[in-house]
Amino acid sequence: MPWYLYLALKQLFPSGRKFPFFTAISVLGVALGVALLVVVTSVMGGFGHEIRRMIVDTEGEVQVRASGYLADYRGVIQRIVSVPGVTAATPYATGPVAVVYKQRPAYPLLRGLDLATIDKVANLARFVHGGRLDDLDDDAVILSAQLASSLGAFVGDTLEVYSPLIFEKLKNDEVFLPRELKIVGVLEIGHQQLDSNTLYCTLRAAQDLYGLGPAAHGINVRLKPGVNEDEAVALINAAVPRGVRAHSWQDSFSDFLWVLNLEKGMIFFLLLFVVIVAAFSVTSSLLISVVRKTREIGLLGALGGAPRHVAACFCAQGLFIGVFGTLLGLALGFGALAVRNDIVLAIARVTQRQEVLQRFYQFKQLPAHTSVNEVMLIVGLTIVISTLAGLLPAWRAARLKPVEALRSE
Amino acid sequence: MAEVVLQAQRLAKNYLSGTQQLAVLRGVDLEVAAGESVSIRGESGSGKSTLLNLLAGLDSADTGTLEWGGVADTGTARRAKFLGMVFQSFYLIPELNARANVLMAARIVAVPGAAERARADELLRRVGLAERATHLPSQLSGGERQRVAVARALMNSPRLILADEPTGNLDEHTGDAVIDLLLAVCRETGTALVLVTHNAAHAKKTNRQLFLREGVLH
Repeated sequence: MPWYLYLALKQLFPSGRKFPFFTAISVLGVALGVALLVVVTSVMGGFGHEIRRMIVDTEGEVQVRASGYLADYRGVIQRIVSVPGVTAATPYATGPVAVVYKQRPAYPLLRGLDLATIDKVANLARFVHGGRLDDLDDDAVILSAQLASSLGAFVGDTLEVYSPLIFEKLKNDEVFLPRELKIVGVLEIGHQQLDSNTLYCTLRAAQDLYGLGPAAHGINVRLKPGVNEDEAVALINAAVPRGVRAHSWQDSFSDFLWVLNLEKGMIFFLLLFVVIVAAFSVTSSLLISVVRKTREIGLLGALGGAPRHVAACFCAQGLFIGVFGTLLGLALGFGALAVRNDIVLAIARVTQRQEVLQRFYQFKQLPAHTSVNEVMLIVGLTIVISTLAGLLPAWRAARLKPVEALRSE
Repeated sequence: MAEVVLQAQRLAKNYLSGTQQLAVLRGVDLEVAAGESVSIRGESGSGKSTLLNLLAGLDSADTGTLEWGGVADTGTARRAKFLGMVFQSFYLIPELNARANVLMAARIVAVPGAAERARADELLRRVGLAERATHLPSQLSGGERQRVAVARALMNSPRLILADEPTGNLDEHTGDAVIDLLLAVCRETGTALVLVTHNAAHAKKTNRQLFLREGVLH
């Protein structure tokens, strides 16, 4: 290796001597910045990723809706499944209902599923505990976990369901009897909002409760893996009749995702200042090093070292601090991510806020999703900033004249 | 006649002291042949170190010419191969052990290979420090450090060694040993030596003794 890189490494990590305090502090400063960036971007990315997983797992990548309801949803489904990239489509009916169990009322969102096609689009079966999705029929219902918990209802119990049709019936002085449905399962997705407030029944039962006849409120669409969602949406929109629109899951949650990305960007920008502050500390330490090693710099000139190589020696020290700090930071960051749930639970336990945590963040566990591109960005920026931190000391070192440097006290 | 490795003609150097020009060197002429040893003595402040820095190409003269081996190029790249320097304060790099310090001279020229490593070990053996090759400068005595510096000066098989009061920080006995070593290895390798010293006994051991007085060599 060229002498200036060799000497830079030796000055930072001398063999046979105590690990220099300056190196330890500089590397640690950079490492903490990198670790923070990795943890925060991963956790923020985890929220987005988790939301995508839940939406796609329960509703497919694309939702097709009409302004009112889809009278001929079968015809629309036939057109949708003929679109390249579409694997399957399933109709649904949805809306608010009132339920009563042992005089305890609740007002969940009803979701009617087409049992013949739901498993091709949404993998709901894996979220069902204490029962089976296969047991669902027109006289049965599956409750979300927290709804079951708040009602105190169990699998095998029966509850009464009132739909908004009750108002129409009452207007016409008709008698409206609630529908009795048997609980055949409890569904727990892991999203607080879905788990707390949803009631799953068959499409037919939902159509009856809402008086839809053979119509549906919308269609969930599953795409082949790797298919671009926006392109698929465009193709579906071209295939479906006027008045029916397809939306990707990103469109459906665009406001939420935009806020999430904005938060992520802002936090990334702010935490980058930790690395920048660490870089200033590297600059300061290297400037002190230039002063302390003035006579050595003079010696290097006397031995025939070119000023640009002397400069490279100090610049390389910034680079190496960046590289080693980044490696340590990545290790710290991924280590912290591995035990993130333990840390969060410990904090929640100490502050006695476990339930608040779940209610606020909507997840049972703190999600994390690390993007390779973001890690590359963090690594690249940190190494560039650290190397730039060595520029001023390098310039000072290169300007020293060997004669004056050797003469310095 | 032996080849001339160093030729300085009419070298002059002035320094500004306040508002006055101070003439430190007033036209120094010096020729050193291969294998020759020359000592330069003079009172403190007479300009010995200034002259040595000019001869090493570390500083530029106001007037006069300087040639190494008949070539006027005294730039950093050529200095690394042509010249070896020994200083009063040793100037070893504290993070490097004795072998690495010796090898540093070779590193500046090119990435050292097995031949250079073997030469560094050979030079350390020659200066009596084979057993201390892996020791850091802080683990060596003053005399040992200066011997490492001598080995470093010889690493690139230079044609000329410039030694600036190499015994200034050593006791008399150790200083004598270092000078004897320096003269011996220069004699063995045919390297020219310019020795700046205060010590008359050390100066007498060289082939030619010069005295710098009033900016001129006598």
